[in-house]
Formats: sequence, structure tokens, C-alpha cells
Amino acid sequence: MSKPTTNWERIGDKFYRRIQLYDSVFDPDLELENYTVTSAPYSGAVALRRDDSKIYSYRGTQAAKSTIDIYSCAGKLLRQISWDRGNVKSIGWSEDERLLLVTEDGTVRMYTDLQDDFTPFSLGHGAEEHGVQDCRFWSNGFVALLGNNSVVAVTRYDEPRPQLLASAPPGDVMSWAVIAPEHTSSRAVEVLLAIGSSVYVVDAVECEDRGLEAGPFRHLCVSPNGKFIALYTDDGKVWVISSDFQDRLSEYQSKVKTPPRDLQWCGNNAVVLAWEDELHLVGPNGSFQRFDDYGSFLHLLPDIDGIRVLTNDKCEFLQKVPESVEEVFRIGSKTPSAVLLDAIDQLEQKSPKADDNIQLIRSKLDEAVDGCVRAAGQEYSIHWQKQLLKAASFGKSVLDLYNSDDFVEMTEALRVLNAVRFFEIGLPLSYDQYFQLTPERLIQRLVNRQEYLLALKVSEYLHLPVDRIYVHWARQKVRSSETDEDSICEEIVRKLNGKRGISFEEVARAAYHDGRGKLATELLEHEPRAGKQVPLLLNIGEESIALDKAIESGDTDLVFYVLLNMKKHMPLSSFFRTINSRPIATAIVESSAKDQDQELLKDLYYQDDRRLDGANLLMSEALESSDIGPATDKLKSAAKLLRDSKEYAHQVAAIDDAQRLLRFQEVFEKELNDRYVGLSVNETLSKLIKNGNMKRSQKVQSEFKVSEKTYWWIRLRALVSRRDWKELEEISKGRRSPIGWEPFFNEILGAGNPKVASVFIPKCTNLTPPERIEMWVKCGMVTKAGEEALKAKDRAALEELRTKATGNGMLEIDRMIAQLQKGR
Amino acid sequence: MAAHPAAKAINTQEITDKARRDLLHLLEGVRGKKNLVIEKSLAGTIGLIVKFSTLQEYGVDKPFFLENHNVDSTQRNIIFMVRGEDAKKIRMVAEQIKLIRSESKIDHDFSIIWVPRRTLVSNMVLEEHGVLGEANISELALNFVPMEQDLLSLELEDSFEDLCLRKDPTSIFASAQALMLLQKQYGLFPRILGKGDNAKRLADLLQRMRNEEDVNTAADPNSVHLTSFGLTPSALIENLIVIDRDVDFPTVLSTQLTYEGLIDEVFGIANNNTEVDSSVLGGAAPQSQQNGSTTTPTAATKRKVLLDSSDRLYPELRNANFATVGPALNRIARRLASDNENMHNKDQTVADLKNIVQKLPSYKAESESLKTQTSLAEEIMKVTRSESFGRMLEVQQNLLAGTDPASLHENIEEMIARDAPLSTVLRLLCLESCLANGIRQRDLDQFKRQILQAYGYQHALTLSDLDKMGLLCTRESHRGYLNPISNTAGQTATDWNAVRKSLQLWIDEVQEADPNDVAYVFSGYAPLSIRLVQAILQKSYLHQLVNPKNASSAPGGTGWKGFEDAVSRIRGPSVDVTQKGSDSDASNARKTLRGNKEGPKVSIVFFLGGVTYAEVAALRFISNQLEQSSGRKLVICTTSMLNGKKAVDVAVEQRTFAS
Repeated sequence: MSKPTTNWERIGDKFYRRIQLYDSVFDPDLELENYTVTSAPYSGAVALRRDDSKIYSYRGTQAAKSTIDIYSCAGKLLRQISWDRGNVKSIGWSEDERLLLVTEDGTVRMYTDLQDDFTPFSLGHGAEEHGVQDCRFWSNGFVALLGNNSVVAVTRYDEPRPQLLASAPPGDVMSWAVIAPEHTSSRAVEVLLAIGSSVYVVDAVECEDRGLEAGPFRHLCVSPNGKFIALYTDDGKVWVISSDFQDRLSEYQSKVKTPPRDLQWCGNNAVVLAWEDELHLVGPNGSFQRFDDYGSFLHLLPDIDGIRVLTNDKCEFLQKVPESVEEVFRIGSKTPSAVLLDAIDQLEQKSPKADDNIQLIRSKLDEAVDGCVRAAGQEYSIHWQKQLLKAASFGKSVLDLYNSDDFVEMTEALRVLNAVRFFEIGLPLSYDQYFQLTPERLIQRLVNRQEYLLALKVSEYLHLPVDRIYVHWARQKVRSSETDEDSICEEIVRKLNGKRGISFEEVARAAYHDGRGKLATELLEHEPRAGKQVPLLLNIGEESIALDKAIESGDTDLVFYVLLNMKKHMPLSSFFRTINSRPIATAIVESSAKDQDQELLKDLYYQDDRRLDGANLLMSEALESSDIGPATDKLKSAAKLLRDSKEYAHQVAAIDDAQRLLRFQEVFEKELNDRYVGLSVNETLSKLIKNGNMKRSQKVQSEFKVSEKTYWWIRLRALVSRRDWKELEEISKGRRSPIGWEPFFNEILGAGNPKVASVFIPKCTNLTPPERIEMWVKCGMVTKAGEEALKAKDRAALEELRTKATGNGMLEIDRMIAQLQKGR
Repeated sequence: MAAHPAAKAINTQEITDKARRDLLHLLEGVRGKKNLVIEKSLAGTIGLIVKFSTLQEYGVDKPFFLENHNVDSTQRNIIFMVRGEDAKKIRMVAEQIKLIRSESKIDHDFSIIWVPRRTLVSNMVLEEHGVLGEANISELALNFVPMEQDLLSLELEDSFEDLCLRKDPTSIFASAQALMLLQKQYGLFPRILGKGDNAKRLADLLQRMRNEEDVNTAADPNSVHLTSFGLTPSALIENLIVIDRDVDFPTVLSTQLTYEGLIDEVFGIANNNTEVDSSVLGGAAPQSQQNGSTTTPTAATKRKVLLDSSDRLYPELRNANFATVGPALNRIARRLASDNENMHNKDQTVADLKNIVQKLPSYKAESESLKTQTSLAEEIMKVTRSESFGRMLEVQQNLLAGTDPASLHENIEEMIARDAPLSTVLRLLCLESCLANGIRQRDLDQFKRQILQAYGYQHALTLSDLDKMGLLCTRESHRGYLNPISNTAGQTATDWNAVRKSLQLWIDEVQEADPNDVAYVFSGYAPLSIRLVQAILQKSYLHQLVNPKNASSAPGGTGWKGFEDAVSRIRGPSVDVTQKGSDSDASNARKTLRGNKEGPKVSIVFFLGGVTYAEVAALRFISNQLEQSSGRKLVICTTSMLNGKKAVDVAVEQRTFAS
């Protein structure tokens, strides 16, 4: 086995390695130089498109048909998307392997899951007039540069909303790049435009000139972590600066005449310049290395931790040698992990040196084991992975205490990685990429490639849920199967039933899109989530099933949604018939119509013969109108609605009374020139009394049969409020009062007139003497209180009163006490 | 951590923090300055989780109320924050966006934040108005808002109206979603108990959602892979007790007699804040004291008072019966005075001084708080001492104690004649109707006539609505009364006389100062809702209370056991569901890991339709008892805070004729 270091190159003080991932990638006839090539992040699929601007030899009608071909990194054709319209300006990928095609007129098509059905949307913002020049993509969005230098950003794909960023100055854009939102301080995307001799930074709000003067810049590229920018000047220099434009980090003079075709980052610490068939790797501090052994046209596919170089016959991964690997394999390395690896070599040769090695690094053995485990993860060759893990295992066996979790996890990860790197799958993930991609999304990628078996195996191996895989399989089944619907449904249900968390809705949706409505309905029966069933059922046209499902779910939003849809598409009478048997639906219709659609409500009540509700609605309308005329009319029709049936006699009486009252009030308003309309009967009485219209008030009282008690209360309070003490004293001469006399005392005293209040004390004959004494005291008439006490022969009360009395009063009380004693 | 593990039970602070983070994150997503248009009822709720100054830091320039229709176009960015469940509000948003777009010269960026979720209806309405593509739409999953450490509210102001009058189950669904989130965080409620039609619906929904959740987590690519094995029963939460407001109207209708309850009755509390005239708090208007009550209210400015546990004295006062608040305030005043004296003591050592300086801030906060609380208490005292309050209370207590209501009718009639507030009268009538399963036809007709004459004929609508809510009905019609939402047969009416005995709802000897039973919150009446909770959590206590002679045969067991008979006499079905984990291996593993050292510690009491402050006080009282005896604890959840006035006002017609 060749040493891993054979493909290392030293650049400055760092090592870089070229790993050949796959060979004979493409058909040798494929003229790669005539294609634009883009690849999804994390070693995802590669899209090839014939570059229209390049001339190519005529190959008959077959080849002229324009397609976009999607390959795996190993050159396996995954899908061919035929393309017939518009001039594709840019092709890009999102991190979930969503393919985006942007045409010159600003139409964007999104192809998810490597399928050939798509969702389109339009960029707008003048893209149609000015035309899209180019696009730059990041993990979850992209930016389009239009012909008039305006920049449009799309920051999410689930619900794309193209947003026009601040406008950039006019002038030729030499090169440009974006910094993804997750890497900027504002958490919004920033666009770098090289115009003239400087670079402009554009975001949603402003466009700022960064004041660089060494331009024009032919190439501009942002590092994967968003921290650095590489610039290629017209005079052949490569600059690396920090992305906040504060520090210039390195400069490299390429000394070549032809400017490079492409400039990309290799990881975060080196820049690659590419010409037709050779490339320069420029490390920090201006050190560089030339690679010119490719022999054919090459494309650069940058990734987060390195760069893939694609030619017709190989796919190569170029990256900085990871530290852990460098520690183990660097020639002459004395790190503990290197020594441990050597030990396993010795052990295999049955040499006692193995033990010497172990003793040598005894104190750092755990470090050595960790190092070997980490290095194994970064190594592509299975032989060296094994070797490193063996070393780790050997080291572990010597240690008394070691946490093996990392070791176990690494073996698991490597097993998965080796499986997906296999050329038939063609996902050459590095360990770091795998870590960032997450196993879940790796499985999604496998599923997208219809590698169901491997996806299942990996899921089970890693204890991940398998439902997505089954659902995807079922969708594919529905799409491609030619057999009759019942047997498809049966097969799918048989396979999927009993599995946790299966979403039948997705399968049903696939069936629906395929025009198999009946199959979709059948499949939906198995979907546990009503929220998902309902919209699809509506699409299929099964409205009443949808309504039932919505009600079952308890989600009023769903119910309401179905109802709104039904109302739009159904005749009113059958709409009412449908909701009639479903009380919740009726309640929701009522409750929403109350706010916005009273007419509908009227129809509903009429249809259901709910007269009281209908009458109430009319009454409510009567309240809305500001004039008496229409209000009375509404009341009349309300009464008419109820008059036929006996059970509403009271309501009818009330409505009649309401009209009568309004008539009275109208007359009063004319006669007395004061507001009366809108008051209640009692309020009308009170106002009449307050204004001294006793006659009229008595008329109202008898007309509306207001009880004597109520009338007395109203009169009392009205008189007190207008402080008509004379009238009140007049009343006190009366023999009896239906509400007793105590209220008179309380109300008048409360209004602050003890003198008049006291008039009523002797009339409260039903109260006890102590209560009356208390009343007198409240009026401040201690002597009178004394007399009351004397009458009741209450010595104690008198004694107490004495303490309250002053001056003359005291004498009086003393006299009474004496009188009481004498009397005894 | 051994002493009181229950203290770190359900971390309500965490909920606040998360909501705040989410909100600020959404605001941050919109670059630059922005105008915020917010639904009125949401503004208070948001105020509970984040200060306005913080919003300003995040670029909010001016806030507007959605209802005022006055959004201006000063900023390019306009953010709407509205409840996504309410079609009316959604329409308002759509119309305002349209309006601004047509009137303003600038090209605006609209964002809509739907609370707590984006709905299909919202999409549909926006689409109909042609603005769906105009706005950046996101959602803020604001469900439970912590009012206090032990009190979570959904703050759905209309929940009572929706459930009782409109029969619209939206808030049941919202509750289920919120509870589901709790389950996701703390594990399944091992047992769900409840009473009432809607409680049953809620329990069913929770079951259903659990099934849906399985699929949802699976469909969500971001889910942590641990959760994808299904939920296991919680180690922390013992059970969920759902009390449907339908089951216990009388408690809501009664005037609360705790301090906090009375503040709510007199001034009203919204989002932990109450608004009072600044003259009440003194300070502002010293001259008004000479004129007494005759000063015109025109000059009155309102001042907000924050009422929560951040206050120095409020926590110890809030749950006390109001009768004891005066003496308590006196005691505190005396203590502070003596502290003050000590401070001014001349001969002090340096150490003493240091001590005093340390105490100073707390002293200041306390005397500040004392001033506020005393002013509030005095103002309430004015109300409680008034004759009309006394009369109202007399009727209420008699009704609750089970006196023949006919003897109280004269009192109520007099209140109507004297133009007592309509809501007060209605509360008493509804209370009578609820307790006696309706009022005799003749009496009720008489009352109705008087009410219409006294308060206006528009209240025919009020009375009709009250009838619909089942609050005020004739005795005959009540017998055949069927809740249209319910599809399960249960008792349709409560036999109050039987329940009063079997659950001891009335206690004659109440010790208000040193309470020994929850009845102290209504000075004699023990709320039915609370007794139901006690029937589950304090079986032996309740049993002893009901059968003092036969105390030894206290029922064991869990759930409703021992009180099935009493519970069956209350309307609505009883709910009792045991939830097991879907993956029995995982549950067993958990059980093994947990060992049998300690049992579960928290019970959640959920009020569907609203809870009163008096009930909260009573539950806190129980929670304290439980914590002392067994280290367990209650957390109270509700759809909203409620009181009798709010409940009755749902029905009260506000319009008058030709105005």
C-alpha cells in the first residue's frame, strides 16, 4: 500500500493533498469545455449544461436538443431535465440539493429531490426588462444581478419572495460574489460587486463603496466561512483580504499573461486559479504550487473544506491535509499518534519494538488514540482507515480507562461514508462534510437517488427514522406503477401500515398530481393528520369529506377554510344543507358571519326556521340605524317574525314596548326640546321628574305599568339629584310609602342634607330604637337621639350619647339621664 | 437540590425567554427601522414578555394599534403582528396593506407575524385581497404566557365568549396545541382528568394530536432524532386536570373577596396591570382631598400599576381575604416605622450603619409598595363598605349557601329599581339561575320586564344571549337543555343541592385571617372547581371535611376515585385518560433510569374558558399545603383571566336605540 503522503504537496509550511475520488467519470466524447458545471454543496449532484455561447460541431438533431444533465460525482447520470424554453442564465444548488434554473427573463424554476417536476416563480423587480445577467447561490438562497446593475435576493425557497436590494452604481460589473446571511454581521445577505476600480458592498438598505483602488478585479471570491475575500487584479495579482475589508492578508503575483478562467477557494486557507487544463494553488503568504498534469479541460467545484476538480476522466478532491492526518503521517513525525501507528506496524511484524513504542508515549497514550481515531475519519483509503483504527484499538487496550464513544462513532461514520463513496452511489463526502450535512440529510440524498435499500440500511444502522424512505418509495410507486389503483393502494398500505410516522398525505398528493383522484382519496383515509388531509381533499373535490375531517381535527382554522371554499363553489341552499347537520360548522359560520355577512346569517336563520335568532338580528340592525324611522321598521319586522308562534309572546311584547317607548320619546323631544330617544323607561321617568314634568312621568308609568315601588325609587333618586327638598318634605307628609321611609333618609343624608333627612326618622317605625338613635346621630342631632333613647329607656345608649354631645346637648342628655333615673 | 426539587419544576421563565428570543429574532430579520402595527389585545400580552424599550433597540420606530387604522408611511418597513385565527383581524391587515400600498409613494416592505400560527384562512384572505405575495410572512408561536411562576395563560380574551356564546371551539384547539408543547418538553401527562363537555373534547384532541405528532416529527427534517421515538410519560408532571368553565359558572359569577380578586372587580386587571385614577394613588392631586368626592372626574388621569411578584408586599397580600388586608397593611406599616426609627437612632456603631445601608433599598421599595397598596386597599374599602355592595353580597352569599332564592327576589328587584349596574344585577340573577338550574318562568319574566324597562329594550338581545350561554334560563327549558357542541351524553345539569353537601361547598365558620380551607376566598363558599381539584389531589382532606364522623374510611386510589358519585351529579362527562408511551421500551428504560426514589411532582390544573383570581388564590393555598405535605406542587394554566363582570359583559348589548 502506498503511503498516504505520496499525493501530498507542500505549499509554504502547509501540506495539501490531492485525492483521486473516481476515474473515467465522463464519456471521453463529452466536450467539458463547452459545458457549464455546477455542483450541490457537500459532494452533491453535478449539473451539466451545454454553454450556448460556445460553438460546437454539428452532431445531428439528437444532440441539438437542449437538456440539463444531472450526474453524480462519479459520473453516473441521475436525471436528464429537458429544457425547451428561455435562455438559462444561471444554474445553482441549495444545500438540500434543490436545483435552481434562472432564465434571462427572471423566471426561476426549482427542482426538488432531483425530480423533473418543478415549482416556478418569477424574480420581478424589472428582471423581465433588464434581463438577468448572472446569479450567485448560497446554501439557502441566491442573488440575481440584473442588466441595470440592480440586485435581487431570494432568501428562502419554501416561500420565495424576491427582494430588491439597494441599487448599485452603473458601470460594468467585472466580477461579483455574495456573502451568505449566516456569515455577515447583519444576518442579511451582502453582495460584493467589482465595478470600476473598486468593490461595492450592497445589502437591503445601502450600497457602500469600499474604496479599493487596485481594480478592476477580474475575479472576486468569498471563502466558504465568509471571512475572507480573494481578488484577482488586472495586473495578475491575487489578493486575500478579510471580508470586512479591514485587513489585507496576503498578496501573490501570478506572473502569467493570460488571466485565469476561474478563481475559487480551496477550503478556507488557499485559493485556486484555474486555466484550461492547469491550476495554481496559492497558499497563505504567497506560496504556491502549479498542477498541470490534468491533460484535459478541468472544472472547479468548491466545497466547504476543499475543492473538487472535475475532468473527463477523473474527479479529484483537493484539500489542505487535515491536522490529525498530518500529525500521523508527516515524514519524521514524532507525535504520539504517529508513534502509535508505527507500533501497530511493529506488532504486525511481531517485533518487540511495538512495546517500546507504547512505553515511549505511555503518558500521552490517550492523546495518541484520539489522534488516530480522528485521522481515520479524514483518510479516504480503506486500508489506512483500518490501520489507524487498529492502532487506536491497540492503544485503547493498553489504557485502563478510556471512553470509547468517539471510537465507536467513528467506525459507524466510516462505514456509512465508505458505503456512500462507492462509485455506484457517488457521494464522496469528507468527514467534515458528513458532519455538517447530518446523517438525516444524507439519507434524504440517498432517497433522492432512489437508493432505497442503502438508505434503509443506513437508517437502521444509525437508528434513524425510516418513514421518509418508505413515503418516498410509495410516491415513486404511485408515479411509475402501471397496475390498477386498488392493487397499488393495497400494496402501499401493506408495506407502510404499522410503520411509525408515515405521512400518507405525501403519497396521496403524488397520486393526485398524477391524476389519480380516487387513489388519492383512498390513500388519504390512512393519513392521521387532518391538517394534511383537508387541503388535498378540497383539491380533489371531496368537500363534505373534507369538512368532516376538518371537524374531526378540532382545528377551527381548517373548518373555516373548508367552509369558505364551499361557500365559494356551492349554491347557498346546498351549502346550508351541508352545514345544517354539523353544529360546529354552523357555529363557525354564524360566528364569522356576525362580523361580516349579516345577509348570509339572515338566510341561514330563515332556512333553519330559527325565528328568535332572526328577530334578534333585526333588532341588532335596528340598533345600528341612527334614525327612529328605520329602527322602528326593523323592530316591526322583528315582531312580525315572532308574532305567529305563542312561545315568543314575551319577546313580542318587549319589541312592541320598545316601539311604543320610542314614539313617546319622540313626542317628548318635540315638546320639551331635550334628548329622550335612546333612554330606557326608567331613565325616561327619571329625566322627566328631574325636569319637573310630573304629569308626563305618571303617564309613562301607567303606560308601561312600572310598579309603584320602582316608580317611588326613581322619583326619590331624581328628586334628590335635583335637590328638590321642598317636594321631598311634601312627600314626607304622605301616610305610607311602598319602599318604606328609610331609603328617603339614606338618600337625602347621602346628598348632604341632614335636616330634611331627619324629617323621615320618626316615620321609620319599623326600625328598632337603637337604629333610630344611630340615624339621629348621623344627622348630628344628639338631643333628638337622646329623646329616642329616653323613650326606649335605654340608659346605656344615653351614656354613650353623652360622650358625643357638646355644650347644650350635654346638659340635655344629663337631664334625660336624670329623668330616667328618677323615673325608676 | 434535595430540599425542594419541585421549585425547579416547570420553568415558566424559560417560556418567557423563548418567546422573547423568537420575537426579537423575527424583528431582527427585517433590516432597518420599522413601524409595528399590533393588534390591541396582543399588545398587552407582548408587554408581558418584552419591554417597549427593547423593541426600540430592535428598530421599532413607532407602534400602532391595528384597530385604529392609522398606520402612517414614515418607514419603509411595516410589520403587522396579529392573531392568525381571527378572520376579522386578518381582513383588517389585508385592507391596511392595500391602503398603504395605494396611498404611499414609497415602496414599502411588509411583514406579517401571525400569532401563534399561520392559518390557511389567513392565506386565503390575503390572497383574495391580492396581497399574499406582498408580505413576508412568519409566525410567532406564542402560546402560554407566564403571568406568574405558577400561572400560565393563553391570554385569549375572547375564549369565554367563543366557548359559551358562540360555541366556537377555536380556543379548545389553541389550548390543546399549547398543552401539546408542554408535553413535548416535559413528556406526556401520565393521566388526564377533567370534567365537562369541552374538557372531554380537549382530552380527545390531545390524544389525536399525539398521533399526528408522530407523523409531524417524522416529517420535520430538523427534529432531533431522540424525539422521533415518540413521547414517553413525564417524570415531572403527575397529571393534567381540565376544568371546563361550563361546569362551574357560579364561581365566576360570584364577587371575589380576595385582595387581588377585588382589585380585579373594582379596577379590572389586564396583563398583570391595573389602571386607577392617579388621584387614588395620592401624590398627584393633594387638593382633591379637601373637596372629597365632589371633584369632577374630568381631570382624572389614569395610572398603570403593575401587580405581580416583583412588588415587595403584593405577593403576601394578593391571595388573602380582603378582610385581613387592612390589618396586614397596618402591621407592615408599623414594622417599617420601627425600622425607620432604628435608622435614625443616634448612637450607632459602624457595623450598624453598614447594616442599615444594606437594608436601605429594600426599605425604600417596601415603603413605596406600602403606599400603593394602602391607597388601593382604601379605594376598595370605599366600595366594599357601601350599602349597595353589602346588599349585593348578602344576596350572593345567601344564594351560595343554598337559601331559597324566592326570599331574595325583593332585594334584586330593589337593586334594579335603584339603577344598580346592569352587570351586578345580571350576575346575581345568573347565579341564581345556575344554582337552581333556572328561575321559575313567572319570576324570570318579571325580572326580564324590569330589566328591559330599567336598562333599555336593547337588552332583549342581552337576555337572549344569556339564555344561549345557559346562564339565565327558565327552569323548564333548562331541563331539556342540551349543549349543541357535546356529542356525548352526560348529565346535562348539576344537582347543586346534592353537590353542595357531598363536596361541602359551603363552610359556615370561615377563618379568614388564618384560613384552613379554600372557602376563605369567598368568605364561606368553596368554589366547585377547586373542590373538584381537591377530590383528585386531597382526597383524605376532602373526605374528612364531608364526613367528619367517618373519617377513617378515607378513599385511596387516584383519579376521581372515592368521589365518583358526587362528580356524576355535576353536568358534563368526566374525563379520565391514562397515557402510556408509544414505545414501551423507551418508557421502561426511563422508568429504570429514574428509579423509584421520587414520584412525580407537578399537577397542572387547566381552566378551559378562564379562571378567576379567587380560584387562583385557592389553588395556591392548596399548592402550599401539598408542597408541605408531599413536596408536590400545582401549576395553573388557563385560556384567560376571567371574572363575573367580564363573563356577563360578553352578552351585554352596548348599543342603544338611535344613538
